[in-house]
Amino acid sequence: MAATRPLLDYAERIHPAAYWELLMNLTRREVKGRYSQTLFGVAWAIAQPLATMAVFTLVFARLANLSENGVPYPVFVYSGLVPWFFFLNSVNSGTMSLIQYRNIVTKTYFPREIIPLSQVCSRLLDFGAAATLVAVLMAYYNVSVTRWVLLVPGLFVLLVAFTIAVTLLTSAVNVFYRDVSPVVQIGLQLWLYVTPIAYPFSRVPGQWKTWIALNPLSGIIEGFRSAIVYGRAPDWSLLGLSAMLTAVMLIGAVVLFKRLDKYFADVI
Amino acid sequence: MSSRPTVIRFESVTKRYRTGRSRTIVDLVASSVDRLRGRNQDNYSAARGRIGSTVFALRDVTFDVAAGTGLGIIGSNGAGKTTLLKLISRVTWPTSGKVRVAGRVVSLIELGAGFHPELTGRENVYLGAGLFGLTRREIDARFDEIVQFAEVERLIDTPMKRYSSGLYARLGFSVAINSDPDVVLVDEVLAVGDAAFRRRAIDSLRRLIAEGKTVLFISHDIWNVRRLCERTIWMDEGRVRAVGAASEIADRYMEEVNVRALANRNNALQSHRSGTGEIRYTSVQIVEGDGCPAGIVREGSPLVVRASYQAASRVARPIFQIAIIDVDTGLVVATASSHPADAPRSVEGAGEVECVFESVPLRPRQYLLRMTITDAHQLVSYDVVTGETRFAVGAAGGRSGQGSDDEDGIVSLKYRFDHRLRAMS
Repeated sequence: MAATRPLLDYAERIHPAAYWELLMNLTRREVKGRYSQTLFGVAWAIAQPLATMAVFTLVFARLANLSENGVPYPVFVYSGLVPWFFFLNSVNSGTMSLIQYRNIVTKTYFPREIIPLSQVCSRLLDFGAAATLVAVLMAYYNVSVTRWVLLVPGLFVLLVAFTIAVTLLTSAVNVFYRDVSPVVQIGLQLWLYVTPIAYPFSRVPGQWKTWIALNPLSGIIEGFRSAIVYGRAPDWSLLGLSAMLTAVMLIGAVVLFKRLDKYFADVI
Repeated sequence: MSSRPTVIRFESVTKRYRTGRSRTIVDLVASSVDRLRGRNQDNYSAARGRIGSTVFALRDVTFDVAAGTGLGIIGSNGAGKTTLLKLISRVTWPTSGKVRVAGRVVSLIELGAGFHPELTGRENVYLGAGLFGLTRREIDARFDEIVQFAEVERLIDTPMKRYSSGLYARLGFSVAINSDPDVVLVDEVLAVGDAAFRRRAIDSLRRLIAEGKTVLFISHDIWNVRRLCERTIWMDEGRVRAVGAASEIADRYMEEVNVRALANRNNALQSHRSGTGEIRYTSVQIVEGDGCPAGIVREGSPLVVRASYQAASRVARPIFQIAIIDVDTGLVVATASSHPADAPRSVEGAGEVECVFESVPLRPRQYLLRMTITDAHQLVSYDVVTGETRFAVGAAGGRSGQGSDDEDGIVSLKYRFDHRLRAMS
């Protein structure tokens, strides 16, 4: 007979390797489901920011020169749209993810956060594909890279952390109140305009600056732009505020998620 | 037996579910407003109806399961059987009380629930076993066994959307039992797949039990429960009705199910009948030797069928036929009062007829009667009533028949094995 295992009144922790592999497998399942039987596959991930870039360029570049540091507007706006769409798509599909996976949530136990996390992970592929086009555009418009590009990994961690925080929150609460999903969708549409994507943070009118700065995505997206297309130091205070808010939100989201996840199967 | 460690322990576990429509943000806002105004909390919600109502799935359930046990869980729908399994697998949590479990739990509440149709069989094995907490290396080591057991070698690299539902379930079962479980939860899933696979599935669960694993088995098929489990829990409306030896609990349970089924029908015969109607049965009763109506007949004891009839006109030489039918396998025996000594020359008006079976050597299960009245040549049926009267055979006290669950079939014959060793010359 096998060695006696202790009687526990909580779920047994799963091996970290098993946790990671399950996350990767669910991510693969997600990606495969999304792109199977499409002709262009991941290329669609580039089409989304590219199309928005074209619209923004046609509309805003005509109205006023909203770019900064002499960067051509298409490069300026596309470099902001890539992280934005990563966030938008992650939160959008993440919010519904626990409901979509109702089948396994109500039938087997595993750490529940893996489901929204796999949604975020699956969008990393799209993010990577869309990001390569930033390099192409920069080469085309002759925008050069400086040493500040070394900040990119840190900014990337911040972006992913913030995206995870929001996704955990919306996915968990959506299990209990289905109204969350439409609210999130409308909220995300407005969020695009209160984030310095079509315009630089420096052009925000003074009395609104504080509010825009309280949006953690502002610091992150401005940071990406400084590091990659402007080639200069980021606005440290803006970035610092983003990092702080992100950390607080992530901790809060994890705590709330773990508190709620015991009830998922009962109400889903 | 007492030396076997406990792997599952329920300590006065209660589980309550919310019923009615689910809460919306409007409800949340409204009840918060109510609370702020100091009103009775769910004023608003109460007005909109029924979100506050709850239903008990389990009430104060306490029991222990030792390692290496096959534990059957029986009970009618809504008795709390599935909730029990969901609590053990941590899919859901108790409202109060504690559920303690030792080791890895694998639940077969639905076979292949974690599979994705776009992924190949191979990818799904890793996904499915991953959901049970296995690492890639652990799955690598078991992969061939999983595939062999499910017999999907040929299709393992084909997307699972091309699989038949039986194959889907087979792979799901195979992944589960090969995931190195300490506790296996099986919820009525063996109904899928062909007979051969079902047999192998039962065998493999038996093997797990023999290896000291614990198997909890929900099934409405009492025979499978008896075949697989030494102990059984009988759940009734969220409470443990009885725990004990599987054969004993199964008999008691079947007895009650049958009594309930019998109580639901009255003896007035109306529906489900045919015949020309010159003479009709008006009531049919199963009575015991002492004349009392009975729903349960003990294995091997006498059975009396007492029927009243009413003839609309004078009928010459009617023949009464009584057949015992097993729901699953069909006709067990048909009797007829065709011997001149068994029936009157002619009948008119009301009368009564009794058929006495001196002993009923039938296996414990449910049977029904087909009551017929024909003319003397058994060519014209005056009345045919099928299934209106049912009875159950209960196991004889203590040992049933030869006392073995390995017996099968309809008839319970007295037998013994004589064994002689012959010296080799």
